[in-house]
Amino acid sequence: MTRDMGPGVATGASGLPDIGVALEALRTPFRPDGQAFVSDLTVGELILLEEIGYRPVEIVTGAGSASWFAQFTTAGTEAKTWGGAIASAIAEARAGIASEVSQRGADGVVAMRLELEREPANQLTCTMLGTAVRGGRNAGHPGSAARGPFTTTLSAREFHMLIRAGYRAAGIVLGVSVVGFSARSASQSLGLVRDNVELEGQTTALYSAREEAMEMMAREAASLGADGVVAVQLSERPVNTMLTHAVELMAIGTAVHRGPKGHESLDPHLQLALDDPAAEVFTSG
Amino acid sequence: MAGPGQGAGPGQGAGLDRGAFRATPRVRHAPTSDLSVAEAAALRRVGLSPVGFVMGSAVMQLASTITGNVYGGMAMSGGIGWGGLLSSARASGSYVESYPCAHFGFVANAEHYGFNAENTVLAASLFEGYRLALSRLQDEAVGLGAHGVVGVKLSFEHMIGAAGTATFLATGTAILHPGSAPLASPFLTNASGQNFERLIGLGYVPAGLAMGVGVVYVQPNCLARGDLTVVGPNAQIPAAVGVARGRARQQLASTAHGMGEGVVHTEWSDRRFIRYGESWNQLALALGTAVRRYKTEAEPRPPRAIVSLRP
Repeated sequence: MTRDMGPGVATGASGLPDIGVALEALRTPFRPDGQAFVSDLTVGELILLEEIGYRPVEIVTGAGSASWFAQFTTAGTEAKTWGGAIASAIAEARAGIASEVSQRGADGVVAMRLELEREPANQLTCTMLGTAVRGGRNAGHPGSAARGPFTTTLSAREFHMLIRAGYRAAGIVLGVSVVGFSARSASQSLGLVRDNVELEGQTTALYSAREEAMEMMAREAASLGADGVVAVQLSERPVNTMLTHAVELMAIGTAVHRGPKGHESLDPHLQLALDDPAAEVFTSG
Repeated sequence: MAGPGQGAGPGQGAGLDRGAFRATPRVRHAPTSDLSVAEAAALRRVGLSPVGFVMGSAVMQLASTITGNVYGGMAMSGGIGWGGLLSSARASGSYVESYPCAHFGFVANAEHYGFNAENTVLAASLFEGYRLALSRLQDEAVGLGAHGVVGVKLSFEHMIGAAGTATFLATGTAILHPGSAPLASPFLTNASGQNFERLIGLGYVPAGLAMGVGVVYVQPNCLARGDLTVVGPNAQIPAAVGVARGRARQQLASTAHGMGEGVVHTEWSDRRFIRYGESWNQLALALGTAVRRYKTEAEPRPPRAIVSLRP
């Protein structure tokens, strides 16, 4: 069976006439029957979600923004207003997207894009965008209505695995902490050029920031009644300028519940690819 | 095949209603495409052949790309500038919101005052640029007798050295099903060849591209500017992002409404567009594929979990 590139050649394909039926459908005008769904899912993601019983509803978004005085940090002390400003920007975006989900009568939002923009340096704008979905196991879970819609940054592929493994997404949880450290004196700075020594104040600040942030995230997860947090993204940013000496630490993850049946094995098949690695045709040198 | 005189004539080309510009039809000697080998194979499995790489472009002067510094708040001539934007937004009933000085007990002056105003004029010129590029791409597909165009990509660039002008470009590969009669208006989709195959397997056919643009002009007040005299949460930037995205989503849904049951593959882009000092246009762009169900009993294919034994 041969088909060349040009038009006017017989189709010849057996068992593949779907495309003909599909093109025929385009010849008649479309009559809208209710609201169209709008999603940023690829076809593969749409399939993965439909397989576990979720249908897309609409694209939903949320945004939050806050600024802070960066210079007011004390050595060894948590800078509450700075950390609080970051947390409030993210929490506002999360609340905004959750309320859009509720307004549409959807159960949650998956594959959420979470973006943080720092401009200027002492301001943070957080935006979220994802596809609201309806149905699936989360909907039937007792108490899910009381807890409100779920949010997750897990991709459709990860979300599919999570649900098939017997878990449910509860929502994104975050922990933020900013801890100050003492500035080095001029002689210390000069001495440090010669010696290899640990900057203990900064290490300590990093450790306390991490503990504070992880504790805050755990508290948020507990308030959702979650069994754990997955896919935590940790970002750490030291700020050491003339006026400001602090470590800023942020943790964002998805809190999950274990379903009534507990963990369900995905029973993966081992797959051994029999092809050789592609030959390198053009190599340098 | 399309030869001279067989291209998109007046009234034949879909959507190009201005008649201001029409590309000269050219003879094509061999089919061209920008498909990868895997994409071409996926399309071939569905029964489609590539018939040509098609494109459409338009160079536009963007209206109301406010020129000069609007700091100080004086309206410039011809409805351009701060005052013009505010009054035209108010007159048309579109979104406008004031954000007064956030300092306690201060007398507000121009440096502290801020506002958001929907820039419908800039949104309309961007939409028009993309629409022209897409309709010209579609005309080329009509000229080739194609059933559709897959892998449509849209791009946009400012012309270097010419403020306020922009080039819109749409490219894709026209495809044909040899067994079917030509469509008067070939479908366009931004889905790749592989995703096209999956879509057909799921029981959907792409009906066309859906598009949405939203623009909000942001003149930040002292709080939203993030200066060092007043800090805290601000509502101005979230509101601008929310309205710009909301408008893009609305337009995306309304352009898709007459085409199909839903929209997939939406590519989103948010950016701060055309900045003037501390103010900017908050832009949201959305491009997706409207899909139509052609059969209801699509076979379920539960994906199988695998562990690859590659090192």
